[in-house]
Amino acid sequence: MSRSDAGADGGSDPDRVPSIARRVVAPFVDRSVAERLLISVAAILLSIVVGFVIVLISGRIAQCSTAAWTMPLTGLGFCYDPVEVYVVLFNGALGYPFAVGEPGLFDPNWTPFNLSFGLTLSETTLLIFTGLSVAVAFRAGLFNIGTQGQLVVGALATALTVLAAAPFLPEGPAAGVVLIVVGTLAGAVGGGFWGAIPGALKAYADANEVITTIMLNFIAANIAYVLVLEVFRAEGSSVVATRYVPEHAQYLPWFFPESSDFALLALLVGLGFIGGLYYLVEHTSFGYDLRTSGVQAAAAKYGGVNAKATTVRAMTLSGAVGGVGGSVWVLMSEGRWMASVPALGFDGITVSILAGNNPLGVLPAAFLFGILKGGALEIGFRTDVPTQLVGVLRGLIILFVAMPEFFRMAGRFMGMGSSGPGGPGGSASTAEETGDDSAAVGGGEADA
Amino acid sequence: MNPAVHMDGITKRFPGVVANDDVDLAVERGSVHALLGENGAGKTTLMNVLYGLYEPTEGTVFLDGEPQSFDSPRDAIDAGVGMIHQHFMLVDPMTVWENVVLGNEPKTWGGLRVDEDAAREAVVDLSERYGFDVDPDARIEDVSVGVQQRVEILKALYRGADVLILDEPTAVLTPQEVEDLYDVFEELTDQGKTIIFISHKLGEALSAADEITVLRDGVNVGTVATDGVTREELAEMMVGREVLMDPATTPQEPGDRVLEVTDVRAEDDRGVEAVSGVSFEVRAGEVFGIAGVDGNGQSQLVEAITGMREATDGSVTYLGEPMAGASRREHIDRGMAFIPEDRQERGLVMSYDLTENGILGSQHDPPFASGGRLDWRASREHAESVIEQYDVRPPNADAEAESLSGGNQQKFIVGREFERDPDLVVAMHPTRGVDIGSTEFLHDRLLELRAEGKAVLLVSSKLDEVQGLSDRLAVIHEGEFTGVVDPATVTEEEIGLLMAGETLDDDSVEGAAVHDAATDPAGDAETDDDAGGEEVDA
Repeated sequence: MSRSDAGADGGSDPDRVPSIARRVVAPFVDRSVAERLLISVAAILLSIVVGFVIVLISGRIAQCSTAAWTMPLTGLGFCYDPVEVYVVLFNGALGYPFAVGEPGLFDPNWTPFNLSFGLTLSETTLLIFTGLSVAVAFRAGLFNIGTQGQLVVGALATALTVLAAAPFLPEGPAAGVVLIVVGTLAGAVGGGFWGAIPGALKAYADANEVITTIMLNFIAANIAYVLVLEVFRAEGSSVVATRYVPEHAQYLPWFFPESSDFALLALLVGLGFIGGLYYLVEHTSFGYDLRTSGVQAAAAKYGGVNAKATTVRAMTLSGAVGGVGGSVWVLMSEGRWMASVPALGFDGITVSILAGNNPLGVLPAAFLFGILKGGALEIGFRTDVPTQLVGVLRGLIILFVAMPEFFRMAGRFMGMGSSGPGGPGGSASTAEETGDDSAAVGGGEADA
Repeated sequence: MNPAVHMDGITKRFPGVVANDDVDLAVERGSVHALLGENGAGKTTLMNVLYGLYEPTEGTVFLDGEPQSFDSPRDAIDAGVGMIHQHFMLVDPMTVWENVVLGNEPKTWGGLRVDEDAAREAVVDLSERYGFDVDPDARIEDVSVGVQQRVEILKALYRGADVLILDEPTAVLTPQEVEDLYDVFEELTDQGKTIIFISHKLGEALSAADEITVLRDGVNVGTVATDGVTREELAEMMVGREVLMDPATTPQEPGDRVLEVTDVRAEDDRGVEAVSGVSFEVRAGEVFGIAGVDGNGQSQLVEAITGMREATDGSVTYLGEPMAGASRREHIDRGMAFIPEDRQERGLVMSYDLTENGILGSQHDPPFASGGRLDWRASREHAESVIEQYDVRPPNADAEAESLSGGNQQKFIVGREFERDPDLVVAMHPTRGVDIGSTEFLHDRLLELRAEGKAVLLVSSKLDEVQGLSDRLAVIHEGEFTGVVDPATVTEEEIGLLMAGETLDDDSVEGAAVHDAATDPAGDAETDDDAGGEEVDA
């Protein structure tokens, strides 16, 4: 409610001086899908331009015996070659489809089933799940920062369930299929439970889900840590981790090298989730309720949507998807639960924002993240550029691509744009008195 | 002598829309000028240009023959143009004089302190000079809407306005307050001020203005002197075709009791009691009207009936079943259609297209959903049929709700709810913002529903609408019915008194009140054919 109220206040009162925030955000609010894609591409290019400059400056400051690149005419030497950095970043992430040293030439010996590309796809797969988790909650108007915790819980549930169930089944592919299915379900249940808690707190105690999910992240991490440390720790393990689940219960790498921690089947499962969630959101009654709650809570109530139930369901679903991400992390990447869970849930937030919270958009967004991850590793191998600098370049790309989407969402949150009632965008782009009418809602008219 | 205001060839374009197309407007000093037109005709845009909120795409504004170029309302105010918006911009806990000087306070102590005495005195002087009956020390929250409006006018005068623009000034007033406002107009023009007011109500323009300019689709259709024009001619200018003004109600015997409301109390969002014990019933084939100035508990009463809000006391019985504790969904499922007052907040999801909006409320029901799956094809066909029947423009099921004008949004909602095949239609301001032609159609459709034996609860602050369509008419004031009257015989003055919280002499109310209590459904025979009276307003 407060959201829409703010919109009506701000929108119907053009006298009020627009704050700087409004002015910054305004250009991004009403953009079509095509415009947003164009903005994203432009943002990547712009981030590369800025990254170029940063690489050059760092390369001038750093000490090295031979210059990697010399500026024509001036003869100034630089330790790092920015062109090389970006070529390796993108080319390397795919496993060098273009010949090294001769960029632009396709290497006929290249196959997609290489280590680097596997690493890229591994990261992509995991981020598909966490990105979807955040996106589903977002569509219901809920900011789930707790995907990380849901992933941790789901991962632990998967590992423990598979470890417990494995002895009862004979080894073999059939048992593997059963264990993976059971493990995935366990992850969904664990993560769903962890998501349902903030959902219920939001629905029945009016507790802000941003706060509760953040808190539950810490609780999840620490409970899981203590449980594994005290009860489920593998004997003789130097780290806090469970035993490995049996080999046959893990996703098989199929064509990719084992060390890439990537399984094509897991990616297919992820694609299935993208399609399934897209269908759920766009083509079911539940999805309609969920989306309507997200964009206009008052209209949802009018349309008979039970706000509380929808909140709990959306958070449970979001948590379940995050939990499946945890199960994939266990059954594809690690083979066991271990205490150092990567920040996949938090990256999922950025992936979701990048995707405009659209399940279909999660795929390219997660793939971009995967490329940056795989490419960063390659830069470390191939060049003298320090990993910290690569981190900066990665962050730049993410920042530049995510900001327009973020502004767009922030603008909607501030009640701007045409869907904010009577917002400045609305009154300008539609017929004259739409904004006027929203002012009349409180006023009314009594003819005499 | 130059006119006080001369807008010459004003064109204002927005992306995709020409709001004003080469509009000329000349207003003489010391006159009242009405800017008349339907919603979306470009009235407000034109005035926003004059007030410096918009820069015209083409054309020039002259004040007293001097060309002006306003960058902001501040420039317009400095040039002597003041605007009183539909929504007052007053600080409720502050007094009248504080509100008037706010932002332009006289200072003492080298600008550090507000010179309260001088400020108050200035406000008293102004108030006296124009014969405003305003207590300068009253708090805004304690005074009536009519007085608040005068404070807004005082604010503009205090800032040196010679030209006053009022946007739909009567929208929030009772009939008596409207009369007072006309007196204020007279006083102001006698002292040389110039008034332009925006309206889409013919009667108002005819009684208050010296000259009327009619806008249609952003174009100036013509400027006429008030003495030389009839309502019918004006209506035709506004709509562009001849309009039939009266909905034809035919007497009809009401059937079974559909809705029964007993001693209902309800609170508003702040927890203040807004409905204080209201009882009535609506029968099949009957239109029960509730009139009243907005904000007298109508919203909360309707919300309590439609399942949007929990009543704090009393009971609502629908089709013989108590509805206490029933969810909003159950209300929808049991065949209660509801046209909400705020179409952009509730009635429509602004970012959804019309196909999606067409199933709002029916998203779980066949034919639009089966087994939890939505049938978008059936939804689209439904939306297209509503669009066609109710003349929604543009006729495009893919258009987002936010891209439609207010009147077309309203038509779509009304169509969606009417086509639900309901037993009861709860219609709140069903024609608000809808142009005359479409209003006529919606009224006919409403009466068709009545003829089909549906029960209709009609809440509107448009007197002519509730009076013309209702079989029985209740007037609500501060959460209570001040009377239930026969709309065919009651006068506008009487309703005005009831709206202001007065009660009528026993004589005039008795018949209707007795009828209200009567259980005999045949008591409605007195409903008159020409209950519409003469109404023109959209």
